[in-house]
Amino acid sequence: MTGGSGVVVLDNGGGLLKAGFGGDMNPTAVVPNCMAKPPGSKKWLVADQLQAQDVDVTGMALKRPIDRGYLINTEVQREVWERVLRNLLQVDPTNSSLLLVEPQFNPPALQHATDELVFEELGFKSFCVADAPSLVHLYEASHQPSLFRAQCSLVVDCGFSFTHASPVLQNFTLNYAVRRMDLGGKALTNYLKELVSYRSLNVMDETLLIDDAKEKLCFVSLDVPGDLRLARLSSKDNPFRCSYILPDGITYKKGFVKDLDEARRYCSLPANGESANNDSAESDRSKFEDKKKPELSQNEFVLTNERFLVPEMLFHPIDLGMNQAGLAECIVRAIQACHPYLQPVLFESIIVTGGSTLFPRFTERLEKELRPLVPDDYQVKIIAQEDPILGAWRGGSLLAHRPDFESMCITKSEYEEMGSMRCRRRFFH
Amino acid sequence: MEGEEEENVGPFRRTSARTRRMATRMASALASSDNRAQAALARLEALENDNAGPEVVDPNDDDEYGSDDEEDHVLMQKKQSKNMKRKTRQGKALEKKAARSFMDVLHEANLESLPPHVPTYSRAAVGPPSTSSRRYYCSVCGNAANYTCVRCGTRFCSCRCQVIHNDTRCLKFVA
Repeated sequence: MTGGSGVVVLDNGGGLLKAGFGGDMNPTAVVPNCMAKPPGSKKWLVADQLQAQDVDVTGMALKRPIDRGYLINTEVQREVWERVLRNLLQVDPTNSSLLLVEPQFNPPALQHATDELVFEELGFKSFCVADAPSLVHLYEASHQPSLFRAQCSLVVDCGFSFTHASPVLQNFTLNYAVRRMDLGGKALTNYLKELVSYRSLNVMDETLLIDDAKEKLCFVSLDVPGDLRLARLSSKDNPFRCSYILPDGITYKKGFVKDLDEARRYCSLPANGESANNDSAESDRSKFEDKKKPELSQNEFVLTNERFLVPEMLFHPIDLGMNQAGLAECIVRAIQACHPYLQPVLFESIIVTGGSTLFPRFTERLEKELRPLVPDDYQVKIIAQEDPILGAWRGGSLLAHRPDFESMCITKSEYEEMGSMRCRRRFFH
Repeated sequence: MEGEEEENVGPFRRTSARTRRMATRMASALASSDNRAQAALARLEALENDNAGPEVVDPNDDDEYGSDDEEDHVLMQKKQSKNMKRKTRQGKALEKKAARSFMDVLHEANLESLPPHVPTYSRAAVGPPSTSSRRYYCSVCGNAANYTCVRCGTRFCSCRCQVIHNDTRCLKFVA
């Protein structure tokens, strides 16, 4: 089952771990990067075991190897990697190379720990690290070369642990201009958890379920005050109201959205107060009146304005009390830290990637927020990746497939001879 | 003043100690705005938490049970020595298990000592916003909130929400 090159490409995200072989189009495994234990059981479930159909994730205790985006707990990480390498990829580390996507500004102590894990505990033959923005740029530039003639782009990676806006020039990340927001999918999930627990049902222990609810139900609002006003309407007229059913452990092992049509109702709302879609909204409404209104059971919670107030925090972290600029300003600051000649080009090639950009209407909202902040003689162009979760992995797959890849790696013997610090110099950061 | 209160409480300790203690803590929490800031910080910090489950709490609970319930001196000693042994082993296990948090690593890395032109984790942070001020949302229903609870500083949007807030949620963070 080994891919063409025998190079394992690992995008070790805080939420999802993407692993596969260099040269492939898609990773072999996309699994949660954590270990979890059901209440009352002693056995920890690792990575893909959590995705099984019959696993009930209610009340699971979680251990994640990654804290705030950086690999902290190498023991948990080793368990997850071993599971992925042996059971899912079925490779023998001693005859393969590893390309690892590493977070930017990884402190030397953590680089050292990573090297130790890769060479001493798993015994890889050779090892190379790369950062996510350059890989995302590499992938996009090789797929749409016409868009990136200037060989540079601004990669906005809105992931699980944090959000980075990083300018990339000729496949190198300009790390002096990188700007980071400490807000990602994890914080959003926890925020939703807090809101739901405060307002309807205590779900403080249900990270995995709320994560699922967030992915299925949250969206980005284009007009927050207007949508808030609509969200005040009573249940029947409220276009945002929908409920999520928690698993009961008997009939349902997974949580799910009660009524998908109901959940998508907001899409048919006219944007900017135009009354174009009024008729269809009317007919929609009458359809919903026909349905019998089920009573609120113990195992479901209703979301209304939470659905757009949660992703809203990416654009206004200050609303949470976090003293940081929002996403649009983060992008502008990153670009302004670059050379003035680069700035117009960077504004024209903003690539958004990462799992948290999957909220519907994310790109539209970002464009709306960004435009007023950019000088009016500059174009603003936002390119959304077709599969934002896999963006960095696919870039890594391309890099690993290059003929000169082996020369970029450090080998086990080099590591043993020179130690971690010396070897790391090769990676320019 | 606090001493006086304690004395007054003395004879009724059995019945009212708990509520009294809560009350004084609340009062002190309310007196300083710092506490509110701390609660806000703690809340932000919690956004990065995982539910690690009962694992972390277990060893401490165990210790408490071990040392509290003993009357007999000899047994106590025995138990203590046993406890000590267990503690050290547990301590070791914990040291190994409790991975450092990223903040510890960051602190150790001593990034401030680097010259100012070197890009580091802390210098990559976006910094405070320039354009927008904070918007507040009602803690009960999520609407834009115009009013602040005078006791705990939580926001609410209407009279209805205020009643709900006062009945069930007020002082949740500071108490």
